[in-house]
Amino acid sequence: MTPVAATSNNWSALEQKLRTFNRLLTTKASIGQTPKDLIWTLNKAKLYRYVPVVPAQAGHRVPLLLVFALMNRPTILDLRPGHSFVEYMVGRGYDVYLLDWGVPGPEDKNLKFDDYVLDYMTRAIRKMQQISGSNEFSMLGWCIGAILTTIYASMRPDDGLRNLLLLTAPLDFSNQRELTFARWTDEKCFDVDKVLATFGNMPGEMIDYGAKALKPVENYVTNFCKLWDNLDDPRAVESWHAMNTWVTDIFPMAGGAYRQLIVDLYRNNRLMKGELKIRGEFVDLKRLRANLLNVIAEADHITPPCQSEAILGKVSSTDTEIYRIRGGHIGIMAGSSAHKHTWPHIDRWLGARSD
Amino acid sequence: MAAEKVDAGPQVDPFEAFRGMRDKYLESMSKVMIDAVNSEEYAQATGAMLNNYLTLSAPFREALDKAMLMALEQFSLPSRQQVTALAERFTNLEMRLDDLDAKLDQILKSLSANRTPVAEASPSTRRPTSSDAKPVNQTNTRKGQKSI
Repeated sequence: MTPVAATSNNWSALEQKLRTFNRLLTTKASIGQTPKDLIWTLNKAKLYRYVPVVPAQAGHRVPLLLVFALMNRPTILDLRPGHSFVEYMVGRGYDVYLLDWGVPGPEDKNLKFDDYVLDYMTRAIRKMQQISGSNEFSMLGWCIGAILTTIYASMRPDDGLRNLLLLTAPLDFSNQRELTFARWTDEKCFDVDKVLATFGNMPGEMIDYGAKALKPVENYVTNFCKLWDNLDDPRAVESWHAMNTWVTDIFPMAGGAYRQLIVDLYRNNRLMKGELKIRGEFVDLKRLRANLLNVIAEADHITPPCQSEAILGKVSSTDTEIYRIRGGHIGIMAGSSAHKHTWPHIDRWLGARSD
Repeated sequence: MAAEKVDAGPQVDPFEAFRGMRDKYLESMSKVMIDAVNSEEYAQATGAMLNNYLTLSAPFREALDKAMLMALEQFSLPSRQQVTALAERFTNLEMRLDDLDAKLDQILKSLSANRTPVAEASPSTRRPTSSDAKPVNQTNTRKGQKSI
């Protein structure tokens, strides 16, 4: 090859890389594609049932409800075909349901954990029980979804909850030195009431900035450098595109719930102290009796392990397990090795308790 | 001849050294930045910036809100507050409907459970089985479900 031809090839390769880079940053990947039916709605919330692929007789009897955080789409649980937790669990014979909280509007600024747990979750669960024909069910809560599921499990222990799976659950806020969010949202620095009086709901852009600012160089620079380096690898590109589509789909969090998260949990640790009141009733973790799997990401910078560890000492469940796994807040469930470690472990644990 | 030698030999990436330097720099920068954002000073500085922004922009927002409210009134259009209140009422109605729907399902379920043995037994003289009394079917699509 002549030097001129080699130079020309290099330029066309560079041009191709730039095109791909531009496409990835300016387009959305198709995520959340596992076939599902909409079976219930309330306000913005929707309950989906994933279309079973395993005959009912061969599948697990106890249905599984997935509850994700309030400020991101739950599509992270069903990222892309061939790399989807939902698809994996449906394939393993579970009757899988997903509670999607939807995007809160200005009219939802007063929604609190009280409403999400006692108005939305109870009704969605009632519908799931009716559709599945099983009074018993399992529930998986991830991030703030884990807070909601823990509150539900403590307040409604007799409503059929058999298995509770908590993923990266921010429940204990006592170790304030480890919590960067706690430092940022301390009342000396952050006037939560003023922010909510101005915006109503907590703007998604501010939540997104908060999450990314924990590791600013990784999120704003390294992420794109790594993409550039891997542009020749179609699998890496596809994976990055899907994840970026999910990460950039930001929306606000209901003001009332955000205020509870900051004041009741980050500042006063009321759930762990037994002082959290939901519609006038104290949330007593001792009433939580469901079988409990607590999945902790060891390199989680959003929910450090210290936030998830103490729950087992507070509940009455006799069948409990802590599963520690190397990885970050999202990576343990949506990273490239999730299908080798996290998902099979969840399946093994849940499968033994779902028939 | 020279070109053949280039093709046969190992590919040399002229940017490899640059990439290595870049990664080391980013790694050290990352540690510095993580320490910075974890500091009390950063928390206070960002808090002060946000507070100043909210304080300074408040009069403009209030003026804009008032002007918008007057304009909407002039055009006989509902204000944001009125629409919001209406949406809240819709949600309450939805919840009541949901409860009614659940109660109705329960009534139908108990009715069909009571009727099944009689209705089934007479035409075919078949004995009722446990599956007949199942409250809901296990198929993928039900009436009222929307396929995605």
